[in-house]
Amino acid sequence: MALRPVARRPGRAAAGFGLKVAGQALNFESYQPGIISVLRRRYGAFTGKAAGGYRFSLTAAPGSQSPFRPAVAASGDRLEIGRGDFRAVIGPGRKAELTAAPSEQTLDAFLRSFLSFLLLRAGGFMLHSAGLVKNDRAYLFLGKSGAGKSPLSKLAAAAGLEVISDEINLVRPGSNGFRAYGSPFWGEMRADGRPGSWPLGGVFLLKKARRNRVSGCKPVEALRLLLRCAVNFDRAPASAALALENGAALLAGAAFRRLEFSKADGSFLELI
Amino acid sequence: MAYKIKKGLAFRRIAGEVYIVDAARCEMRELNGTASLIWEGLAAGRPVAAIAAGLMAEFEVPERTALADVAGFVKDLAAAGLVEAVK
Repeated sequence: MALRPVARRPGRAAAGFGLKVAGQALNFESYQPGIISVLRRRYGAFTGKAAGGYRFSLTAAPGSQSPFRPAVAASGDRLEIGRGDFRAVIGPGRKAELTAAPSEQTLDAFLRSFLSFLLLRAGGFMLHSAGLVKNDRAYLFLGKSGAGKSPLSKLAAAAGLEVISDEINLVRPGSNGFRAYGSPFWGEMRADGRPGSWPLGGVFLLKKARRNRVSGCKPVEALRLLLRCAVNFDRAPASAALALENGAALLAGAAFRRLEFSKADGSFLELI
Repeated sequence: MAYKIKKGLAFRRIAGEVYIVDAARCEMRELNGTASLIWEGLAAGRPVAAIAAGLMAEFEVPERTALADVAGFVKDLAAAGLVEAVK
């Protein structure tokens, strides 16, 4: 997919959409209103504008999802992220160009790639995890596919707790420790999510079991799963070093425990 | 022979252990206390003999044992592709 500047059309106004997720503001402008409509439909709950945000000139173009894994290349003040159906170039002054297929899946893949890059550089992580709010604090449950994130989230929602996301949660340090942020990225529950942030109450290593049990875990176990669950498409050593640095800070700043839970009912929530 | 840590590896001491991440290969390894000391010695550019001297002081082991332990572990690191001999 070749990157082209947006063609200015005399007499036609550009459509725009502003998105704010985990403290990051991304503003999109396009002369092709269809792709802006896709953004509005998919991320309408996270509409927001903030001064100093990224400014994307957005162009719709067809493309396939192959290769599926996004490639990230950062050099100086230039960042390129791309896969078969999108390519973004972010330059100095947060000015950026994005060429993408006008589909929710494509725009979702781009945003996951870009926001995970930004979060890592903000001292945080985008994590494969379930997240819920209890007593005004956020709790994250780390686990790859099959660990039980969606069943746990559904049981929490049925018990009246707010679920932040059943698939991807966003965490970064604030002035008083780590906070979890509202996430537009969901799994089976397919909810919209909502903006907001909550102080991080704890992190659990998730495992399905017959009985509910909370136990301690070794730092090595916690770090290993934390890094496995971190969304990071950047293969550069500097990015790995950041992940280790952020992981060390998160291990020091939050209580990590192991949760074995039965998906028979929501009684495990009493252990949180 | 001197060894150095290969380029492209990120590492950090966390809770008393050293964690090494090879981002290109999507691999993570952790080193226990003694292994961490050897790794950090290599990271600081110390020769094997100097690292062994550090272990002798830390664990009160004979020189011969310390040298053999360091040499054996460095050989393991080289086999794992984490360090390389300096020419």
